[in-house]
Amino acid sequence: MATAVSGAPKRSRSSRLELIGGQILAFVGAALFAGVIGGIIIVLYGENPLFVYATVLNYATARPEDIAQVAENATPLIFSGLAVAVAFKAGMFNIGVEGQYIIGMLTAAIAALYLDRLPGVLLVPAVVLSAVLGAAAWAAIPAILKVKTGAHEVVTTIMMNGIAISLVAWAILNPLKSTGEQSVDLRTNLFPGKALMPSLAEPLGLPSSVHLTLLFPIALLACALVWFFLYRTRLGYEVRAVGSSSGSAEAGGISIGAAQIKVFLISGVLAGFVGLNHLLGDKGYLGNNYEVGLGFAGIAVAFLGRNHPVGIALSALLIGVLIRGEDGIALSTELPTEVLIILQGVLILSVVVAYELVRRTVARRQLREEAVVEAAAPAEA
Amino acid sequence: MTATEVTTPAAPEDGAPLVVFEAVTKRFPGIVANDSVDLTLEAGEIHALIGENGAGKSTLMRVLYGMYPPDGGRILVKGQEVKVSSPRVAISLGIGMVHQHFVLVDRFTVTENIILGAEGGPVLDVGDAEHKIAELAESYGFAIDPHRRIEELSVGQQQRVEILKALYRGVDLLILDEPTAVLTPSEAGELFDNLRKLRGDGKTIVFISHKLDEVLEIADRITVLRRGRVVGATRPQESSKNKLAEMMVGRPVLFQLDKPEVQVGEPVLKVEEVGLGNHLNGVSLEVRAGEILGVAGVEGNGQRELAETLIGLRTPDSGRFSLAGEDVTGLSVARLRKLGVGFVPEDRHHRGLVLDMTLWENSVLGRQSETEYSSRGGVLAIRKIKELASRLVEAFDVRARGITVPAATLSGGNQQKLILARELDDEPVLLIAHQPTRGLDVGAIEFVWRQLLDQKAAGRSVLLISAELDEIYELSDRILTIYEGRISGEYPSDAPPEEVGVGMTGGRAEAGAGATVTEL
Repeated sequence: MATAVSGAPKRSRSSRLELIGGQILAFVGAALFAGVIGGIIIVLYGENPLFVYATVLNYATARPEDIAQVAENATPLIFSGLAVAVAFKAGMFNIGVEGQYIIGMLTAAIAALYLDRLPGVLLVPAVVLSAVLGAAAWAAIPAILKVKTGAHEVVTTIMMNGIAISLVAWAILNPLKSTGEQSVDLRTNLFPGKALMPSLAEPLGLPSSVHLTLLFPIALLACALVWFFLYRTRLGYEVRAVGSSSGSAEAGGISIGAAQIKVFLISGVLAGFVGLNHLLGDKGYLGNNYEVGLGFAGIAVAFLGRNHPVGIALSALLIGVLIRGEDGIALSTELPTEVLIILQGVLILSVVVAYELVRRTVARRQLREEAVVEAAAPAEA
Repeated sequence: MTATEVTTPAAPEDGAPLVVFEAVTKRFPGIVANDSVDLTLEAGEIHALIGENGAGKSTLMRVLYGMYPPDGGRILVKGQEVKVSSPRVAISLGIGMVHQHFVLVDRFTVTENIILGAEGGPVLDVGDAEHKIAELAESYGFAIDPHRRIEELSVGQQQRVEILKALYRGVDLLILDEPTAVLTPSEAGELFDNLRKLRGDGKTIVFISHKLDEVLEIADRITVLRRGRVVGATRPQESSKNKLAEMMVGRPVLFQLDKPEVQVGEPVLKVEEVGLGNHLNGVSLEVRAGEILGVAGVEGNGQRELAETLIGLRTPDSGRFSLAGEDVTGLSVARLRKLGVGFVPEDRHHRGLVLDMTLWENSVLGRQSETEYSSRGGVLAIRKIKELASRLVEAFDVRARGITVPAATLSGGNQQKLILARELDDEPVLLIAHQPTRGLDVGAIEFVWRQLLDQKAAGRSVLLISAELDEIYELSDRILTIYEGRISGEYPSDAPPEEVGVGMTGGRAEAGAGATVTEL
């Protein structure tokens, strides 16, 4: 009887490899498919698709600073992808990463402007902490509303996004408005230099136009921490159980509401990092032209990365390549840069379909092999 | 009451049987669900198709009903080879099927449900349809009001609506998939009367079941399937329950397990006047150490709510319950589990297992906070958990390719074994077992029953909630009946089933036409 079990782990490990291999294959296949569709559009514009794709690749990888640029692009996307993914693991859709990071930028700006007496070693962490707390607080509201009143988080977070945008607009128009006279843009005063995120451009010998900061390695670290959280901690286990089968989780003594609130706060903490590279690595002030849409992009990144930390890092880098490629297209071709946005869209759709196909195939095979195992040794009491 | 005595108007002129399966094969990935099955259905007979779960009974009939295309062989209807590509085609050939789970729209009336999909044009002539349905119901003695909404009907009546749905479409052959699974003994009796009337009218009935007593009572001919093959065909008068069981399982089956003699001890669970919305209405009961208390009842009479209240998933509106003398009303699931309550849910997919998660992850569900399985800092002790999983899998003979496969890949029986293994591993003082053998085959049922009896033999308690009277009788030391959220009777374990059946219907012999039964 025990023979059915012993020796089995090795085989099931190979089936897990099979699943991962299948997913990589699915990704490549989907990417090729997206490339063909994109190619057709490019041909319709009268350009050579191969040249366009080569341009994108060239702009993204030719020089060290191009690669650094890709990493810079990927930094906020990794955080927002992780923020979406952890909530998703608990069966929740955090559409509010957008609003949460915007609030995070606001609270970070307040800390950077008003805690300027702190030395740099303390000020930067204080600014980051302030961003994280602001974003998490913003996430807490829909989480509590969901658990206490049943208000759906998709609806409430969308509302919270609108409020966040208006709140920041009000703040930079009123209490935080720049005191300098020549400023054309509506914005806060410049942050003190010691409040800015340490740049990696100089240590790596890259031009200062590259805004690669310490946040990129922190983002990679965050991937590792999120993985550990999901797969090695009790809360992560409970969160995944709630996400896959809330009824069974509940019967296993897990408080669904508590798990959901906790994971939404973690999602908010991650969202707090999303705007920081833009704020502390690039601009050095909070203006009304701040970068928007990073939270929504996170949904796409999480999707592409199958909500897995490693997948998220990879898909954020891929999107980073495409963003960098937009510059190349604008400079070297007559194409509108929207072509790459279409390409992203097609890629996401085809990847989602391809993953699902692989998942079903592997599941079917597993089921089949399981049936063989059972048939090999008929049940006996 | 043999098939031969029936001559029917439905019989075709050339005398060919109604339906013939010739070497019909149906494969699912890796499984041969039907392996070259030959089967003949004669017009005007009640033909029972029996076999364990997964034997291929339902699959074979779904092939006939056009739900699955066969991979090999052919089907002849009235001597003509046919290709049944969809249920619509099946109905046009005079073949109807009533599924185990009804497909009725709750808010529609009986008439609306029956004509759904057979409206016959963009403008409904409800009056005409109603008239036709009333006539049809009358002619077969179905007590059904065509104006009633489905949600107002009892399960037995809903089943009649399903049968009428098929008859309304003019079928000659009616396939019933496990029709008595949801009925009380008296409702089942009524169903049998109806089926005999249908047969008298020349209809042919295929009766899929694994309840052998019923099959022996109602069938003209019996075909036994095992692992997708026909392993025998017989008639009731030539067979017996034990013979049929042996054909089904492939080995002799004990129907009588030895109940261990156990000195019954102090009350372990004491439930006093527990009320919960419309579901539970002052339920009181007591389970003592070394005792299995059986709660019998037709599904949907508050059993789920009772089980879920006692494990802490629901908080009662009134009343209290205590565990070993300590009031535990309103405690959380986690607290109750810590106090030694185990739970085998009726729905293992939605209350028992997280199907996407691996076996090892599932085997610690409910115990993940124990210091053995996670540190105080909240980090899982993966090695310990995997050891636990290996132990459970081995002790309960869970057949799987390893502990790292998702629980979804296990068969129902193995999933249930995993749940039992998990719930019994830390020796709960009280096990709440709700429909613990639902959907399991004979071999697995025997295994589960033995485990419950072992629990009792060890001096621990079991609250067994089940709609299967067989199971209740097999295991219980005392029997309660539950009806509309109330305990409607208490019986010794040797009370005649008819008496318990009365309790299951609220104290009246007849289930009545869905009307609420008067107070006891």
